[in-house]
Amino acid sequence: MQSTRPTVEANSAEPPAGRLAIEAENVHVTYADGTEAVRGVDLTVGAGEFFGFLGPNGAGKTTTIKTLVTLLDPTRGSVRIDGYDTTDESQAVRESIGYMAQETSVDEELTARENVRYTCEVYGVPKGARDDRIAELLELVGLDDVTDQRAETFSGGMKKRLDAATVLVHRPPVVFLDEPTTGLDPEARLRFWEYLQSINDRGTTVFLTTQYLEEVDRLCDRLALLQDGEVVTTDTPAALKSAVGGDVLDVTLVDAADTERATRAVYRSDAFDAATVEPTDDGLAITAENVREGINELFRALDAAGVAVTGFDVRSPTLDDVFLRLTDDELESDGDDATRKLEVAR
Amino acid sequence: MSHADDAGSDTARRADGNGPVTDMRISLTRWLVKTSRNPYVIFSSLVQPVIFFVLLAEVLGAVAGPALAATVGDVHYVTYLTPAIVIQSALAAAAVSGIGLVDDMETGMFEKTLVSPMHRGAMFLGKVCSEVVRIAVQTLLILALGYLVLALTSDATTAGYLRTGLPGLVGIVAVTVLFGGVFMAYSNVVALVTRDREATIMIANLLTFPLLFVSSAVLPLSVLPGWIRAVAVVNPITYGVDGIRALMLGRDVLSVFDVTGFGGLWNTVAPAVAVLVACNVVLGAAALRLLGDAAKAEVH
Repeated sequence: MQSTRPTVEANSAEPPAGRLAIEAENVHVTYADGTEAVRGVDLTVGAGEFFGFLGPNGAGKTTTIKTLVTLLDPTRGSVRIDGYDTTDESQAVRESIGYMAQETSVDEELTARENVRYTCEVYGVPKGARDDRIAELLELVGLDDVTDQRAETFSGGMKKRLDAATVLVHRPPVVFLDEPTTGLDPEARLRFWEYLQSINDRGTTVFLTTQYLEEVDRLCDRLALLQDGEVVTTDTPAALKSAVGGDVLDVTLVDAADTERATRAVYRSDAFDAATVEPTDDGLAITAENVREGINELFRALDAAGVAVTGFDVRSPTLDDVFLRLTDDELESDGDDATRKLEVAR
Repeated sequence: MSHADDAGSDTARRADGNGPVTDMRISLTRWLVKTSRNPYVIFSSLVQPVIFFVLLAEVLGAVAGPALAATVGDVHYVTYLTPAIVIQSALAAAAVSGIGLVDDMETGMFEKTLVSPMHRGAMFLGKVCSEVVRIAVQTLLILALGYLVLALTSDATTAGYLRTGLPGLVGIVAVTVLFGGVFMAYSNVVALVTRDREATIMIANLLTFPLLFVSSAVLPLSVLPGWIRAVAVVNPITYGVDGIRALMLGRDVLSVFDVTGFGGLWNTVAPAVAVLVACNVVLGAAALRLLGDAAKAEVH
């Protein structure tokens, strides 16, 4: 597939130069019951970008995406999609976007073909182009062998892919996907990723919310991290990972109860300069520059402290690490005790 | 702005909006396909009316003779009963109207429409039209069924079955659709308030049967207990049934209150239509209001 995707410079917190697909300025959304779901979100996404919107459950991802696609009006602030204001020019926005909701939205009484045809009609795809478009999209999502079966007979993953096909009938410049791979099995998720990559490759701006860090890591040019209705940071996956500061050494302990003692031993030893130690389910995760070089010293220190180790693994930091780090910093700056780091050894 | 005219091009562009009439047709087609695939529709539009017709005609027909003779005169009970079956079936179809809406909300199809350029009113109107088509078709089938039952009954003739001819037939379909509108609106109000499929079905079932018997549907009101006569005055079924019955028999049959001045069958049809239109306006406005609220979540 020919790629029209703009190249994004590594470590860039800014969108690529050129036309903007999404501009959200200081967006607040407060529900009628007083819940402040979104509290001042700013987003700038360039045309053709693959943008990830990452956050835990309840962070306000869905409320934000619903505001971007005209389902909600911002209480304060403004949103422009492909240059149109979502409140004042909502019709033009609707004509410019595709939106795939978190819940799979297909008509189960209709066949795959009928579902796509209905959406083609709704979006005014010319009659002459419809049949080709339907065939092309069903092939793209791998449903070309079940086109005339009713959606009620489909698996969850097939319904998702059908839903995704209907989002693209009018070749929208901007596509919004709200946790599209939640609930899919690993194989279905991989297929879905390929599909998302291929639509971005044809120049479509993709805005994707997810809880899966691996997903943004694999797909996105840039991402914003959302917590409690606010954007914590916006950057490229690579930049965020380098911000963690080095590789991660996972140490598995014989007895997880030794975690605290082991943590103290690591901080006391000279194994690493400026290491961060976090407890895991079965041991420790140590993050440091040149973490490999300190391994021998670390084992001596742990041995001296009487902590038995069953295994270890050195890896690049994942966005999980980024996320834990950033949200921990938030918590600490709030003076909250709920921090995940062990303070005892400091 | 980016607008490629080549339909096959890969260039991103805005969709072409449709006119409201096209949007309505698109929605109508979708709902007609869904209706034709729903086995419950075949049951409630075809099987249930036959069962009702046969049972009521056999059981009540055996004793209804004197009551009819005293009120509407020389009318066979099958002819008398046909409007009741027409209305009962229209009610059964209309009272489940809200289920489609709740289903669309639960499956996300409603939201999918809201983010599309589709005209919102047209989407709803298309769904309503599909139900009007269903009610019109089943009304014609039931009228044919009544004729058939009468033709097969040894002591009856089909001569006085539909005394107003083709104009009467058109009028009957119109009154039935108008009656259906009342309960379509009611069902959608229930659906939009409860947002629950089961509640909408339950209330539909609760209505269908009892309402029929507290009206002029199956027997003349004059032979029924006083409390039923009192309830019948505020029961829309009375107006639907009396309106259709007047059009079948070609004369004034309204029994809840006395109207004069329109002349003949119009003394029934005019007030019946007036009441049904008023109910449509009130409940329809409530349904549209709730639909508007549902289209926009509550944000400060």
